[in-house]
Amino acid sequence: MDFYYMPGGGGCRTVIMVAKALGLELNKKLLNTMEGEQLKPEFVKLNPQHTIPTLVDNGFSIWESRAIAVYLVEKYGKDEYLLPKDPKKRAVVNQRLYFDMGTLYESFAKYYYPIFRTGKPGSDEDLKGIETAFGFLDTFLEGQEYVAGDQLTVADIAILSTVSTFEVSEFDFSKYSNVSRWYENAKKVTPGWDENWEGLMAMKALFEARKLAAK
Amino acid sequence: MDFYYSPRSSGSRTIIMVAKALGLELNKKQLRITEGEHLKPEFLKLNPQHTIPTLVDNGFAIWESRAIAVYLVEKYGKDDSLFPNDPQKRALINQRLYFDMGTLHDSFMKYYYPFIRTGQLGNVENYKKIEAAFEFLDIFLEGQDYVAGSQLTVADIAILSSVSTFEVVEFDISKYPNVARWYANAKKITPGWDENWKGLLQMKTMYEAQKASLK
Repeated sequence: MDFYYMPGGGGCRTVIMVAKALGLELNKKLLNTMEGEQLKPEFVKLNPQHTIPTLVDNGFSIWESRAIAVYLVEKYGKDEYLLPKDPKKRAVVNQRLYFDMGTLYESFAKYYYPIFRTGKPGSDEDLKGIETAFGFLDTFLEGQEYVAGDQLTVADIAILSTVSTFEVSEFDFSKYSNVSRWYENAKKVTPGWDENWEGLMAMKALFEARKLAAK
Repeated sequence: MDFYYSPRSSGSRTIIMVAKALGLELNKKQLRITEGEHLKPEFLKLNPQHTIPTLVDNGFAIWESRAIAVYLVEKYGKDDSLFPNDPQKRALINQRLYFDMGTLHDSFMKYYYPFIRTGQLGNVENYKKIEAAFEFLDIFLEGQDYVAGSQLTVADIAILSSVSTFEVVEFDISKYPNVARWYANAKKITPGWDENWKGLLQMKTMYEAQKASLK
């Protein structure tokens, strides 16, 4: 299956780790969104919203990283690996995925994305948004090994991708003790972590270059 | 089951419509966010993220409207019509749900929501994001009666909740002919539409009051 991505993209790294966990080979196609490659007609035909990551599985085109992650598990996963069948357990996984998108990653985007444009981060209020999000995650992880129950799920992988993005951006989350404990373990047990880290190094290089250029 | 909500909030309206479609009775408990009722200890115990809507089904607490919607269908649906079992159909529905959260509804929150709260609209860039979101939705609906495939699903209901919110703030939907056609039909066939509209009329009152105060 064809996978359109950039190594540094948070959603791209989620799908890379999920595919690795499932033992799937992705036919990786680098799409340089900094150069506008996502607007080429052949890509817009696959994904009119022209976002990455985008997966094309034997003609079936799908995007939004968390939707791709769940799709891969439902289509190619064995038993209940990475996604339980019980509606309540699944609901918690979904809740965490929406939390990841709308609260945790969103707080990253608000505070750190402006650096790409202006060289400066967002406001103090935006920084508080990050702290609040980590506070919630810390509460979710109280007495828990994984973010949505007692097994590794796609929600851990999506949130691992996000939390590691914060690490590379030098946000200190050591005071969130449950998050730190979970993060140390998740790095060890999640297949594809190495590739996630490689992607983050590419992101960091880009980030530093932008910071310099904006000065 | 207990349902903590606000009649105006779009996530709450999504669940009201999904529950109606499934023939479920919700024990409605209105939370006044403006009065800080969501920060009371007894609510924090149910949902540490203290967001609405929150559903408590026989002791099981779940939040994030799109996660609740899928949960209700998986747990109580007589069939899978609102959320089909096929992984590819589901993936498309999930993609639309994430689009609704991260793109369509997000564009409302960044441009119109500040106006309703403080009388200050978002900036031109925020407005362009609304137009882009409607353009994407218009493309998704090209030659389609529903937002994710050939039948009404939870994605239509979530997006109906969002699009109807734009109607209340006088965003001109008619420029997007596929959206306008889908919207006219979705209003007619979605159970609970009347209650969705009743909740929106409360928001309309706030919107009109802000407009009047600026004159």
